[in-house]
Amino acid sequence: MAARSEESALAELYDRYGRAAYGLALRVVRDPVLAEDAVQEAFLALWRTAARFVPERSKASTWILTLVHRRAVDAVRHEQRRRADTLENAPEPSVAGVDEDAWLRLQRERVQEALRSLPDAQREALELAYYGGFSQSELAERLGQPLGTVKSRMFAGLARMRELLGDPGTEVSWTSTS
Amino acid sequence: MDIHELTAAYALDALEPDEAQAYEEHLGQCEECRAQLAELNEAATALAFGAVSPAPPPRLRESILAAAAAERTNVIPLRPRRWTTRVLAATAAAACVAVGFGISALTTGGGTQIVSAAVVVAPDHTATLNVSGLGAAPQGKTYEAWIIPSGGRPRAAGLFAGSSVKLNGRVPAHAVIAVTLERAGGVPASTNQPLVVAQT
Repeated sequence: MAARSEESALAELYDRYGRAAYGLALRVVRDPVLAEDAVQEAFLALWRTAARFVPERSKASTWILTLVHRRAVDAVRHEQRRRADTLENAPEPSVAGVDEDAWLRLQRERVQEALRSLPDAQREALELAYYGGFSQSELAERLGQPLGTVKSRMFAGLARMRELLGDPGTEVSWTSTS
Repeated sequence: MDIHELTAAYALDALEPDEAQAYEEHLGQCEECRAQLAELNEAATALAFGAVSPAPPPRLRESILAAAAAERTNVIPLRPRRWTTRVLAATAAAACVAVGFGISALTTGGGTQIVSAAVVVAPDHTATLNVSGLGAAPQGKTYEAWIIPSGGRPRAAGLFAGSSVKLNGRVPAHAVIAVTLERAGGVPASTNQPLVVAQT
């Protein structure tokens, strides 16, 4: 076991992934206070269960972002902040004026480019589900499509994203930019 | 509805709670779904990086670290707190009253290990713990499982070499199962940090 103190490891983990986590939470809940709550709950859930945190070379980002996303979606559904307007009309937090980390910006552009290359129906299903926090049943109703169609779109879209993005390789980049 | 078709929606957190629970139970029995979920989960997490990332307020960092420090003595979560996470190495029985999952990341001399634990509690409250990601215990050491009743003290629940153990003793509702590394032969009470913890 590493001698590193766990608290400093948690701090390091936050310093590496906190920003991406906050951006994700904010995108889903669209409320700074709820976004902070989601990030905090996710990091503390990690803290309570993990024996040791290992910022370098692990898939810690996948783990953290999965927890953050789950919390954010729960928050959105719990608050019943169902937005009547479409996702397109409810803009994501503006890029303008955001002092964005260069590496995160590159990642974002890469993911958005992959999303743009998807058929519209697949992109819409992924965006509404992942960023909008809608369940598949809500999506089916909202899009006026059978549930089976929504499921196929999500599956095809995700499978295509995987092909386009390959192994995200995100962890490697962290060490060279932090 | 064919439960196999829920993998993408699960990876996107797009299932209703009852659907997600049914899928997690299915996941324990379906290797095909576990493999597919591992792939789709990577793609879903990549979407996280598609969001704009403004800097969080500095107080968030302070708040998280302060809360973590305050829980410092709570090495093991004693409160019943149900959260599940994606489990790629779970083994569930068809008839069980509870399934608990836990994942942790361990630092070792060789780098990082991701360890996952799944505990399946049968209707008679006997339980089997399956752990993946732990190597063989070092020379002179053994892994030891613990049953920690909600609000109670840890009870030694068996020694094992690295992957699976039928727990000694009954597992009450909301118990936590923990694994520690101990000297060969095991110990009746441990002060070591758990390697992985699963909440049932």
